[in-house]
Amino acid sequence: MTDKLIYLWPEVTLFITTCLVMVLGLSPQAEVRRLCAWVSAVGLTVAAGLAANGEPDPNALLPNIMPFAKVVIAAVGLLLLMLLAGTVDREYEADIESGKTKFNPLRSNRAEFYSFFLFSLTGLMLCASAESLIWLFLALELTSLPTYIMVIISTRGAKSQEAGVKYFFLGALGAAFFLFGFSLIFGGTGATHFDDIADSIAANGINPILTLGLLISMIGLSFKIAAVPMHFYTADVYQGAASPVSAMLAFVPKTAGFIAIITICAAVGWNYGPNHTSLPEGLRLVLWITAALTMTVGNMLALRQRSVKRILAYSSIAHSGYMLVGVIAGPGPVGGSFTSNGLAAVLFYLLCYGFMNVGTFAVLASLKHADGSEADDIDDIRGLCSTHPLLGWSMVLCALSLLGMPPLLGFVGKLGLFTSAISAGEYAIVIVLGLNSAIAAVYYLRLIVTPYLDKPAEQDVLRVEKVGIITRPMVAVISAASVIGLVLVAQPLIEASSRAGVATRHGDVHAVEQAAALRDDINEPRP
Amino acid sequence: MLEVLAQGAFAEPMASITLAHYLVLSGAMFVLGLVGFVTRRNLIIMFLCTEMMFQASGLALVAFARYSMNLDGQTFVIFVLTVAAAEAAMGLALVVLLFRKQESLSAEVWNQLKG
Amino acid sequence: MLDLAPIAMTLAADSPAAVASAPAWVMLIPAMPMIGVVLCTLMSIMGVRSKLPAFVTVACLAVSFLLTVFMFTGHSEGWATAVGWEWLHYSWGDGNGQNFTANFAFAVDGLTILWMLFVTGLATLIALYASEYMATDVGQGYNRFFIAFNLFVFSMACLVMGSNLLMLYLGWEGVGLCSYLLIGYYYKKPEAVAAAKKAFIVNRIGDVGLALGVYLAFVHFGTIEYTELFASEKLQGYLHDAAEGHWSHIPWQASAIPLFLMVGAFGKSAQLPLYVWLPDAMEGPTPVSALIHAATMVTAGVYLIARTYPLFQVSEIALPIVAWVGTLTALLAATIGMAQFDIKRIMAYSTVSQLGYMFAGLGVMTSVGAGFHVLTHAFFKALLFLACGAVMHGFAGQLDLRKLSGLWKVPGWRIVTIGMFVGCLNLAGFPLTAGFFSKDMILAEAFVTPGFALIGWILLFTAGLTAYYTFRVFFRVFVGPVEYHAGDDHHGDDHAHDDSHGDDHDAGHGFHPHAPGWAINFVLATLAVCSIVAAGLYFIGDHGWVAGMIHDSTAHIDPHGDEAGGSHGSAALFGLDPHKAMYYISSVVGIVGIIFAYAFHLHGRKSAGEAPAADAFKAALGPIPRWAENKWYVDELYQFLFRGPLLVLSHIFRYVDMLLVDGLVNLMGWLPYAVGGRLRRGQDGVLQSYAASMAGGLALFLLVILLLVNQSA
Repeated sequence: MTDKLIYLWPEVTLFITTCLVMVLGLSPQAEVRRLCAWVSAVGLTVAAGLAANGEPDPNALLPNIMPFAKVVIAAVGLLLLMLLAGTVDREYEADIESGKTKFNPLRSNRAEFYSFFLFSLTGLMLCASAESLIWLFLALELTSLPTYIMVIISTRGAKSQEAGVKYFFLGALGAAFFLFGFSLIFGGTGATHFDDIADSIAANGINPILTLGLLISMIGLSFKIAAVPMHFYTADVYQGAASPVSAMLAFVPKTAGFIAIITICAAVGWNYGPNHTSLPEGLRLVLWITAALTMTVGNMLALRQRSVKRILAYSSIAHSGYMLVGVIAGPGPVGGSFTSNGLAAVLFYLLCYGFMNVGTFAVLASLKHADGSEADDIDDIRGLCSTHPLLGWSMVLCALSLLGMPPLLGFVGKLGLFTSAISAGEYAIVIVLGLNSAIAAVYYLRLIVTPYLDKPAEQDVLRVEKVGIITRPMVAVISAASVIGLVLVAQPLIEASSRAGVATRHGDVHAVEQAAALRDDINEPRP
Repeated sequence: MLEVLAQGAFAEPMASITLAHYLVLSGAMFVLGLVGFVTRRNLIIMFLCTEMMFQASGLALVAFARYSMNLDGQTFVIFVLTVAAAEAAMGLALVVLLFRKQESLSAEVWNQLKG
Repeated sequence: MLDLAPIAMTLAADSPAAVASAPAWVMLIPAMPMIGVVLCTLMSIMGVRSKLPAFVTVACLAVSFLLTVFMFTGHSEGWATAVGWEWLHYSWGDGNGQNFTANFAFAVDGLTILWMLFVTGLATLIALYASEYMATDVGQGYNRFFIAFNLFVFSMACLVMGSNLLMLYLGWEGVGLCSYLLIGYYYKKPEAVAAAKKAFIVNRIGDVGLALGVYLAFVHFGTIEYTELFASEKLQGYLHDAAEGHWSHIPWQASAIPLFLMVGAFGKSAQLPLYVWLPDAMEGPTPVSALIHAATMVTAGVYLIARTYPLFQVSEIALPIVAWVGTLTALLAATIGMAQFDIKRIMAYSTVSQLGYMFAGLGVMTSVGAGFHVLTHAFFKALLFLACGAVMHGFAGQLDLRKLSGLWKVPGWRIVTIGMFVGCLNLAGFPLTAGFFSKDMILAEAFVTPGFALIGWILLFTAGLTAYYTFRVFFRVFVGPVEYHAGDDHHGDDHAHDDSHGDDHDAGHGFHPHAPGWAINFVLATLAVCSIVAAGLYFIGDHGWVAGMIHDSTAHIDPHGDEAGGSHGSAALFGLDPHKAMYYISSVVGIVGIIFAYAFHLHGRKSAGEAPAADAFKAALGPIPRWAENKWYVDELYQFLFRGPLLVLSHIFRYVDMLLVDGLVNLMGWLPYAVGGRLRRGQDGVLQSYAASMAGGLALFLLVILLLVNQSA
């Protein structure tokens, strides 16, 4: 057990930072309280550095997933941190500064907000490190529980409380689902460690209890990735929460869910079906139907919205559907490249999605109405390219990338999903994916045309203006720049994700041999 | 399937109680919790229903652990209880907050966000 | 057709040079202008309202130029590549063409160095010039100008230095974008916007060709990295076949590649039939015209062909087409240039015409001549444009040669006049100037290459026309009686370019020209010296300095080994060595052209507006000069040939679209909307109904899947 600890330094760092931030945020000195964001940033940077230098774990089902996933989590986490800065307690701090009120630790939300964010990221990283069902369950809960509170305290309005109550209760229901699924998986294999589960499945095959457990846990995990049939909460929660928190919800739980799904599928292995390259029929079918329904429902619901946040929420649902295609395709042939490795495509897409999605939400978060309420309606971004060019163009670029327009980042990501599904022979889902990309173009084009071509509304009483937080437009610009810039360094990222997407327990002898070789390779230098 | 489940792996005093009994009980608890969650309007009761679903999983885990003689499952239950407790604390705090806001415990008053 | 056998044979016999690795700092050459982009963008964000961006640009580009010089001095033979990082790598199998790699890498050989030397050098000088020229726009416009300027140099560096066709394509599109942005710099002028659009659209046609060529090259040869592509056995085999004359052994795909690439080159380098955008592009600020639309970007087409010269040699018809297109373009543009009155436009047509010479040079297999002409042309044409720009700057946008005269005698205009004179001599091919030597190389080669004598005669005739129209400008504007009218609003019916410069001058009687300052004069003087000195390059080394550079690249042709300047030693022209013969012939032709110009436009001219001899001659020619002035109605022809039918066709398609396609699409589009509307009712915002749907979903999924799986099991 303790030998696993060497892989956990990023989490340990984040945990220590979390504790520090929790204390700092309660300090009576305003200067010390302001340190919260900076300390979090330092913690995340250190965690990213540690993760980048992290070693692959030869005993894990996906030996290389940890370094890649954790670096992505920390990088997007840094962006999210910049976006989240200043979400809570702005007015309260201003009141304290002007002497209207005194600092009251019970009233202040700052410490909780930052530390919960870091807790959630810690949980997310732990998902990537998970080696057993228990660990995975705890990590998933650690990822989710803080986000419930963050939604509620993100604004002081009734909307975020409504969002919070829906998110919490439905989240508890979803957790009950996948927990029940986990218990059945345990029952079906008699083991909690993924290694043992894989061994048991390899030795004894699949039994009905295991199948039932897999199905229920997949459906339960659909809640985390906002997939059908557990997607209902998404739009309400994203709309109710403050934009920065919505951006976080679209990335953090989704990534946790995908890592969990990939891990469980890797334990089962992609060595069933006619060519021994797909998941067992039941599991494949549940993922297939979920993927097809998720992208279709998400895209169709997005068509008739006025709220940009709801559009983005439904687009987030649709993107989960796209990414599930990669899970269905599986890691492809041993030694195959990125184009045949669906898991690599999913991991790479998570990275792409993190950047482009945070960018769109950052544009919204950078705008507010004159009365202080958040910008949300599609009219609020009308003519943004002429009124606030940087924000407008960031929106246009990020939306183009979400649409998958070449040569932007989203295109490279989507290409991987397409090619991996094709090389896995899953033509039907590729057609569904293509059709959905076309439907999605309709509402993404609204997000592109409205800021770019439309004239800003004149004499608008609720004219939008920039919020006074400099980091938010910065996030928008950084994301937009990454959407272009990361394409230029696509290959190293693609390679890293291809390495991360290699599943060692791949059923056939060759893979196991390779895994053993990898193990020896890695174990050798360490006495 | 059933004959597998019915294989007695339990000690003598309870030999007549097979794994299947536990699983049926656990499944019933899960479904009852689910039905309760859907049909009841009171937030506290709804929350207790999810607790019941958690405990259904716990029961299944204990039974499986005993059946396969792997105590990891029972360890799992301890963790589930802990998480359930944490969730309960959060849930009750949330309910108090919401009650202050709306003077009602009904889930139906929260329906402003939709579409 | 042209007998390529001996040439191709020697090429095939050349074993591919070993690929050395270049020092990593060569990547700084494109990186410096990129740093310039970033800095200027920051200044734009900070709202800098001074000349700072110009000087930052000059500094960045100067560093880039110095590095290029180091690259030149440090370069030995063959390829040297500096790999930045692996950019894209897709593979979907192990076979040929199933492995797509494009590195973000730079490859250096003689051709690259030749191009980069003048690109970075001229860019530095012209940035300095622009710092003064654009001074009236200091502020956001100034910042915007220099952002695009830097971005252009970066893109050009990618185009020239890139180690594969994708990098070339990236740079190609980048320079196209910058060209669009800079032509449309005065975006409040409708002409400028229209010109920018025209340039962009015409270039798209070419870019399609280039893209198809790159695809096809990848599909056929399985790689687009230069070092692998040109060394590939397949290509060497084709070259061998071509050398033996077995054209039928070469698959059509291979011979189609150059045809596609050619279209791209024609678009970017303004050749027939895609040249129409370049004269209009003069709506941009003059430094842009000088750098992008005269010296550097428009030579990208020449670069492309020179770079992929081996690909062109596997097609029997590609190079002859290039030669003929170049020749006809040269002639056509020269005739149009003769009848124009706007001096900047004359220079634009002369650019088109000179580019035609370069293409002809490539077509008749003297890549050395073409390369040398690119180099000399870059200097003297930049000089000419900048001198015209100085006139425009000083005379409130006046460009009509009928409204300016005798600038030599106006105080402060000496350097401009001298610069213009040097440029004109070069362009006219006056003996012993750089332009004279480079043009002669092409002419001589055309005459001695079997089957291309007609091209030689046409080009020679064009050289005479060139000398005439060049000195027409000089004799009208810079010498003769002193007279000038400021260009301004009430001269608006003439080509009133660049209104922004006219504002602060009092037009009409009280007008005082605004003599150029130190930056403009310095740049003009430097360029004039460079243009003169460039002639000396011809005498450096064995076959001239440029020949050395070209021979060390993919454009290398070694027809007969030891003859000077890549000429055919065996061939002779009028019993003399063709180059020697050409010296005399073209000297005579050039001087005759100048004499005609003198007789028509200086001799006996009393005012700026009237040249009696020329006007009388024009009247004698009937309607032809008017046709030439109207550019032979090519724009109208295109309008008639393409826009008209396309409009009709588009109407037809519109109805087909409305009735048939739209119906289907609407049905397809209506479905998601309708379903979406129905689904929205499910999103009713009530916690319980969500929970119920989730529970129902779980049950339904389980039921369906267990049933399906059991059935299949």
